[in-house]
Amino acid sequence: MVWKTEKVNMPFEVKDCTLITRMGGVQAAVSLRELREGVARCPLECLFHHFCETQLRPTFDDPEFSNDFAVWAAKHVRDRILAERLGVINPYEFDNLEQLREVVLEVVDDRLSEVGHHQFAPAGEDFRFMRAVTVVFDVGIQLRTPDDLVTRLPQFSTSSVYYHFVEARRRTETRLDDFSNWLAGFGAGTEPLLDALHGIDFYYLTLRELKDALLEAVCQPFMETAHG
Amino acid sequence: MVSMSLDSYEDVVGQVVIAQLRKLAHQLAGARVVHVNSTREGGGVAEILSWLVPLMNDLGLDTSWEVIDGHAEYFHTTKSFHNGLQGSPAALTDRMIKVYEDTVSANAERLRPKLSEADFVIIHDPQPAFLIKCCPERKGRWVWRCHIDVSRPNHRIWRYLKDLVSLYDASIYSMPHFARRLDHPQLIIAPSIDPLSDKNCELPQGYIDTTLDRFGIDRRLPLLTQISRFDRFKDPLGVIRAFDILSGSLDAQLVLAGGGAADDPEGQAVLNEVQETARGREDIFILDLPPDAHRTINALQRASTVVIQKSLQEGFGLTVTEAMWKSKPVIGGNVGGIRLQVHNHHTGFLVDTPEGAALRLRELLRQPGKASRMGRTAREFVTVNFLLTRHLREYLTLMLGLRHGLESHLLAG
Repeated sequence: MVWKTEKVNMPFEVKDCTLITRMGGVQAAVSLRELREGVARCPLECLFHHFCETQLRPTFDDPEFSNDFAVWAAKHVRDRILAERLGVINPYEFDNLEQLREVVLEVVDDRLSEVGHHQFAPAGEDFRFMRAVTVVFDVGIQLRTPDDLVTRLPQFSTSSVYYHFVEARRRTETRLDDFSNWLAGFGAGTEPLLDALHGIDFYYLTLRELKDALLEAVCQPFMETAHG
Repeated sequence: MVSMSLDSYEDVVGQVVIAQLRKLAHQLAGARVVHVNSTREGGGVAEILSWLVPLMNDLGLDTSWEVIDGHAEYFHTTKSFHNGLQGSPAALTDRMIKVYEDTVSANAERLRPKLSEADFVIIHDPQPAFLIKCCPERKGRWVWRCHIDVSRPNHRIWRYLKDLVSLYDASIYSMPHFARRLDHPQLIIAPSIDPLSDKNCELPQGYIDTTLDRFGIDRRLPLLTQISRFDRFKDPLGVIRAFDILSGSLDAQLVLAGGGAADDPEGQAVLNEVQETARGREDIFILDLPPDAHRTINALQRASTVVIQKSLQEGFGLTVTEAMWKSKPVIGGNVGGIRLQVHNHHTGFLVDTPEGAALRLRELLRQPGKASRMGRTAREFVTVNFLLTRHLREYLTLMLGLRHGLESHLLAG
C-alpha cells in the first residue's frame, strides 16, 4: 500500500509518558466555599491534573464525569446541578489554564449564590487537590509514512495515545493532536485520515476506548484507499 | 531472593505494557535501590517487596531488600506506633523511644555502608524510619513509604515520627486521604497484586476442592470468607455477628482465615477471642494459617461465593484486590483503601455495621447473577489498574522524578 501523498515528511518520533500523582499543597476542601478557595489558589498544575490527566490515573471507578471537580460535586456533595455545569467544561477549549480557572470559579460562584454556603461533603469525603509528575520518554519507534501509523498503532500503549492525541493539544501551536500535525505535512492525500481523526471526541472516552476509536479512524481510510 | 522475569507477565498484561516498563527502566539502568522494612514474611508490605525487588532487578536496577532485626520489646513499640498512627490510643514512653532508636541504630551499623551509597532508599512504614538519622552521609534520595492511614494519628506518636519523616526527600501514601501535610513532596502509589504469585495464580479445581476438604468445609454450601490477620481493626467479631444475623435465613458457611505477621504481637490475643466466640459452631471455620499458606488462601478465595473485608480501619486492603482479581464481589468496610477499591453497588458493597454486611450478604446470596456481574467488573478494573506492572511503573516514574526534582513534566532519554 502506498499513500498518494505529495510530500516527504519528517519522521514521527513515538513517545510515551507515565505519571505519578502528588499532593497539590493546598488545603483540602470540605465545602463548596472551600473548593472555591482552593481552585482560586491552587497551582495551575492541579487544574491540569483534575481536568486533563484523570484518564491516566489508576482507578477502580468509571465515573460519569471527566473531571474530578464534577465527580466530587456529584458523588460527595450530592449537587448534581453543579456537577453537570462543571462536567460540561472542556479544558481544551481555553488558550491557557488561567482562563480555565476563571470559568471554574464562575460556575462555583454562581452555584454559591444560588444555594448559599451550605454545601458540604460528608466527613472523609473532602476534595484533595492533586497534581502529577509526568515523565515523557522515547519509545524508540519512528513512523516515516502514514502506512507506518496504521501498522504501528496497535503497539502503542494507552499512555502513548494520551500523549500524542490528548496532551498534544496543550503542547502544540496548532492545538491539534500530534498525528494530525504530522499527517498534514504529507499534503492532500491524507485528508480522509485527518477528517477521521478530527471526528474523534476524545474527552468522553477512556484511553482504551480512545485507542479503539483511533484504530478505527486510521484503518478505515486505509481500507478505502486500498480498495479504491 | 527469588529470580523473576517480567516477561512472565506478558500473557496477563500484554507485550505493550512490558515494553513500556523496559523502556522506562532503561533510563535508570544500574541505579542502586535499597528497600527496608521490618519483616520478610507476613503482611502486605513483605508480599509487595517479594516481587517488587526481583522485578526491579530484572529491569536492570541494582535492587536489594533489607530487614530490621528486632526483639519483642522493639516490635511492641512499633506496634504501638502502628496503632497510634491509625488513631488508636497508644502509649509512647521515653523507654519505648529508647528501645526503638537503639534497635534501629544497631541495625544501622550493619546497613550503613549500603544505605549511604544507594541512589534510592525506600523505607517502608515507621519501623525502620529512624535509619535516616543514622546515615548522615547519605548520597542518594530517601523516601518514606507509608502503607497505613496516618490521616488521624495519635498526636504524641505523630509528633515524634513527623520529625523523622520530615528528613526524607519525599513520602509515599496509598491514597491521598492517608497523607498528612509535610514540607516535602507527598506522592501517591496505590498497592497492587502479583497475578502469578501463589496467592493469585490460577488453580486447578482439584486443588481447590482438596483445600476445602482438608478443613471440613462443605463444598455444596455457599462460602463467605474474610482473609486477614487476626487484628481488631479487621473486625473479625463483627463478621461473625453479621453471619449470625444472616444464618437464620440462609444456609451458608463462614471462614475467617489469616495468619500472624512476625511484627504483630497482638495477633494471638485476637485469635483467642475469635476462637472463643466461634466455639461449638460447625458453620464457622477459624483458620490460623502459616505465613506461607498462599495457595491455601488462593483456594479459599476462589471457592468463595462472596469475600468480606469488614475492616474498621484499613490501609489499602490488598485482600480486596485479590478477591476482585478472582472475580468475586466484595463486601467491605466503608473505610480507608476499601472505599477506593469497592465501587458501591458495582463491584460490591461498602458497609458500616454488621447489620449492613448481613443485608448485603443476603442480597448477593439470593441474586447469584448480580454477584457474577459484580465479580466480572471487579476483575476488569484490577487487570487494567492494580496489577504489579502499574505499581512498578509508578516506582520507576518516582525515581526518574526524584532525579529531576519532581518537576511536573520531565523529558527522559
